[in-house]
Amino acid sequence: MSLWVDQFRPRTLDTLHYHRGLSERLKSLASSGDFPHMLFYGPSGAGKKTRVSCTLRQLFGPGVEKLKIDQRVFLTPSKRKIEVNLVQSNYHIEITPSEAGNHDRLVIQDLLKEIAQTQQVDLGAKQRFKVVIINEADSLSRDAQAALRRTMEKYMSNMRIILCANSTSRLIAPIKSRCLLMRVAAPSSEEMNNVLAYVARRAGFDLPPEASDKIVEDSGGNMRKAILVLEALKMQSPDLTGPLTIAKPDWEVYCHKVADLIISEQSPARVMEVRAKLYELLSHCIPPTIILKTIAERVVDKVDEALKADIMHWAAFYEVRMRVGSKKIFHLEAWVVKVMSLYKHFFYNIDMSEFD
Amino acid sequence: MSQRPTLSQNAGSQRKPSGSNPKPRTVKLDGTSMSSSAPTKAKRFDPLTAFATQPISSSEPSRAKSGLSKSAKGKEKAPAKQVVDLTAMDDGEDFLWVDRYEPETEAELAVHVRKVADVRAWFQEAMDGGPSGQLRKYRRILVLTGPSGTGKTSTVRVLAKEMGFEILEWRNSISENVTAANFDENIYDGETSTYPTYGPPPESLFIKFEAFLTRASSCGNVFDSASSSSGKSKKTPSHRVILLEDLPNILHQKTQASFHEALIALVNKAPTNPPVPVVIIISDSGVRGEASDERISEGRGWNRDKQVIDIRTVLPRELLFNPIAPTLMRKALQAMLNNHFTATFSTNSAAPSREVVDIIVESSNGDIRSAINALQFACIANKTGKKRKRDQSNALVMEAVTRREQSLALFHLLGKVLYNKRKGDPPNASATAKDLKKEQDLDATLKDPPKLPAHLSHHNRRASRVDVNTLYADSPIDSSLFSLYIHQNYTQYCNDTDETDGVADWLSWVDSSGGEAWYQANPHQFHLISLGTLHSLPSPVPRRSQKAYKPEFFACLQKEKGAWEGVRSTREWLLEGATSTVRILSTHDPRTEIDCHTHAFGLFSLGSCHATVNFKQDDSGWRTGGWSTNEVILELGGVLKARDITQDRSISQRTKPPASHRSFSRMEFVRGAESHSGQLNERDVAEGFVESGDGWPGLDYADVSQRETTEGGWLESDDIEDCD
Repeated sequence: MSLWVDQFRPRTLDTLHYHRGLSERLKSLASSGDFPHMLFYGPSGAGKKTRVSCTLRQLFGPGVEKLKIDQRVFLTPSKRKIEVNLVQSNYHIEITPSEAGNHDRLVIQDLLKEIAQTQQVDLGAKQRFKVVIINEADSLSRDAQAALRRTMEKYMSNMRIILCANSTSRLIAPIKSRCLLMRVAAPSSEEMNNVLAYVARRAGFDLPPEASDKIVEDSGGNMRKAILVLEALKMQSPDLTGPLTIAKPDWEVYCHKVADLIISEQSPARVMEVRAKLYELLSHCIPPTIILKTIAERVVDKVDEALKADIMHWAAFYEVRMRVGSKKIFHLEAWVVKVMSLYKHFFYNIDMSEFD
Repeated sequence: MSQRPTLSQNAGSQRKPSGSNPKPRTVKLDGTSMSSSAPTKAKRFDPLTAFATQPISSSEPSRAKSGLSKSAKGKEKAPAKQVVDLTAMDDGEDFLWVDRYEPETEAELAVHVRKVADVRAWFQEAMDGGPSGQLRKYRRILVLTGPSGTGKTSTVRVLAKEMGFEILEWRNSISENVTAANFDENIYDGETSTYPTYGPPPESLFIKFEAFLTRASSCGNVFDSASSSSGKSKKTPSHRVILLEDLPNILHQKTQASFHEALIALVNKAPTNPPVPVVIIISDSGVRGEASDERISEGRGWNRDKQVIDIRTVLPRELLFNPIAPTLMRKALQAMLNNHFTATFSTNSAAPSREVVDIIVESSNGDIRSAINALQFACIANKTGKKRKRDQSNALVMEAVTRREQSLALFHLLGKVLYNKRKGDPPNASATAKDLKKEQDLDATLKDPPKLPAHLSHHNRRASRVDVNTLYADSPIDSSLFSLYIHQNYTQYCNDTDETDGVADWLSWVDSSGGEAWYQANPHQFHLISLGTLHSLPSPVPRRSQKAYKPEFFACLQKEKGAWEGVRSTREWLLEGATSTVRILSTHDPRTEIDCHTHAFGLFSLGSCHATVNFKQDDSGWRTGGWSTNEVILELGGVLKARDITQDRSISQRTKPPASHRSFSRMEFVRGAESHSGQLNERDVAEGFVESGDGWPGLDYADVSQRETTEGGWLESDDIEDCD
């Protein structure tokens, strides 16, 4: 089976629907013979990975789409086995280091060294180098990034690295300076409408413009989300006419309800209730930072202007702690309690001079 | 022992009981041979015939010295009598009282009568099959757990004696030809193939253990003949029991697995006639403080054992031994004292006073072994020192020496922190006069903290009655687990959100303090948590019948693990669809397979016509990076739901997403459904908690097992029919 989002994905730089200028530049880079390391960044669902794969095809031809999935086992110094899935073709290899958890440095080092030390054997290949794609590069640990930095210089002759990240802020400067930065911006709503219409045409139906507008509005610039929503909607109501209700994902609705819980009552008992909900969210694998962000945005929507800055300040504050600490629930709850306390004090008009 | 010269019988001949053998003879200080040479005698030593004698020359000075001190005290004693006493005492002190006065009858056991009855019933059923005669099949393994020194082993031994079965005990021993290095190797490999062939490879300890198990459980003759040839017992007991107290090294994964296998094999085998039940004795020693090595080893050992049991929950029965109640212990100690002092005729060394016994009982924490040792110590200490001060100083000495590092029950630890008692708190309504006095005394020792300046006045607190250092020393759990318990329970003790805010912020801060690596961990976590909690909680904490709960944290982690499985399988389902055609191809092409093994994708050249034939561009939606887990979790929910709804109509089986996706994609919001993971009781021990330093940060809390209550897990004769 394939989801539409996979099925109707553009495969060449020429067939990409938006960011023509970027496509042109990638095309000329690929044909120049002097291809640099690259860093693609931009919001999720903007089309970074699609552009990367189109670029690869431009570089190596259709052979690059002949993929196999391979599972490699890495052995940590403490004899723990880490399984990492590798997607590879003859010309490139993709890794998602976050799969390796804390041992991403090891995986990156071992793998890159191995790849870099083998020459391209295929005489018919268009390029003399191989490409390593590192997904979710912004979740690489400091160690792994430091390891990457050395490798990038040393093995430039037979390897290129393409990094994919949501934002460059968590990459160390030496890596950024060794890459050509490619920003892939989120598509405009007009561009999204075009893409949706294209997908509908390929899938063999007509998309009413109202429905399209609604989906675009809901998706917030995330193309992948828009197409997934379209597919889900089409499955639920095949004619796509009439009033459409775009259901939010369960976890998002859940987060919003938790935010409502926080605002409606502030007491130790309510803290317990909220905690149970937070546990529920965590046990559904929702990343804690996403939980915090979603709830915080919802809470900020609902409270008085004077409180908004403080609430966001504390959200940021506890997010940092959450990244450092190990028990996520402590920090989520500490933020919840802080918001409750702030809200209550505001409600009773008590001077909050001790808050900075 | 063998160097000890034979007893010169004349030394104690005056005191020798008339019934014993008058001929001089060699007595080895060994219980078994003792009984073999004098089978009519009980195993208990008669101190006058069996004492270890010392050469007269060596005992001379001590005699003189003690004679001196005795005379200084003004006691009128015949010198001859003193000699006897001294030698008698010497002999007695060669043995710990624990061994010397090991209980022999059920009446002597300080274990609760019902527990003994339970064990006895189990043995009876294991031997005879109970009333229906069928239970024999199900009474194969008995696990006795409980803190050390609660009489687990003694109970089995006493029952063995009373019921007339023989105990076959496994002991770990390293045979001489196995050097330390080989030993390790054998333990790790569990097989001898890697062992360099310098000679016949030594049997690994575990293989021996397995052999022991099978032999002991099946072919009884070997053991019978062996035991009879050594003259241990003339009459062969009809029943035997395997006692596993000294378990092989089950901390290692491999040995552990084979240990499980051995046990399971034993259980699955049809019972022999007569059946040989297995008794496993596990002491769960308290885990405390930051002793992480100990924690991990103990925690694992214990949990793993539970695992064995869990596999066969129906079959084995677990009996929990509670710490011995003070009254029972006092009775037992007193009986032992009487016994001792009548047996040795040592009229001059007075029995320890009541107070001393009380202190011992109190400080032993229900550990009868430690209590007996302390008692013996007390009696020895009694012999010296002045009569006047003796009792008083004794009390102090005993307190200092015998106080075992008693661990505070988890329940009380939480209570101490969460009730936040401070100087001058109004007394509890149910407090007795004695408690009030105690509180006042305590308050008198507490110094008032200096007054804070005005801008810090909101930090003013009265002096706390809680001594955090003591808490830390006595805590049965480490600070990480402690923080979880505080986190689970603190809200009940708060009045408003500011207080909760204080505690929550402290918890959060402590969790995020320290560096990334384990060795950079904040060493003051425990103190910070308790002090921070004490500082933030209201004072006094209102009493509203708060209950202590166990942390839900572990249940959540377990659930999260399950959900990650769902994420993985859903992701595989997505990738499967995207790359299926290519996958089939690569399994058909031998060169690709070679490629798979070398893992270097440049090694195999493209260009087989095979590829172009099978490659369908339109069908396989390929995409760099596939789906990241976050994308799957956060964005796929709608489509999965839609597919679930419509799947009965048009979508074929192959395109159905795996059902496990619901573990992360479906969330129903229900109000008021609060689930507590169980209330904490006074006798509860901390749950197994092993934090491994490396790996997936949130997911690696392995071995999260809940202690089950001992009641209810065990099979009665009437529900056997269902199991067959």
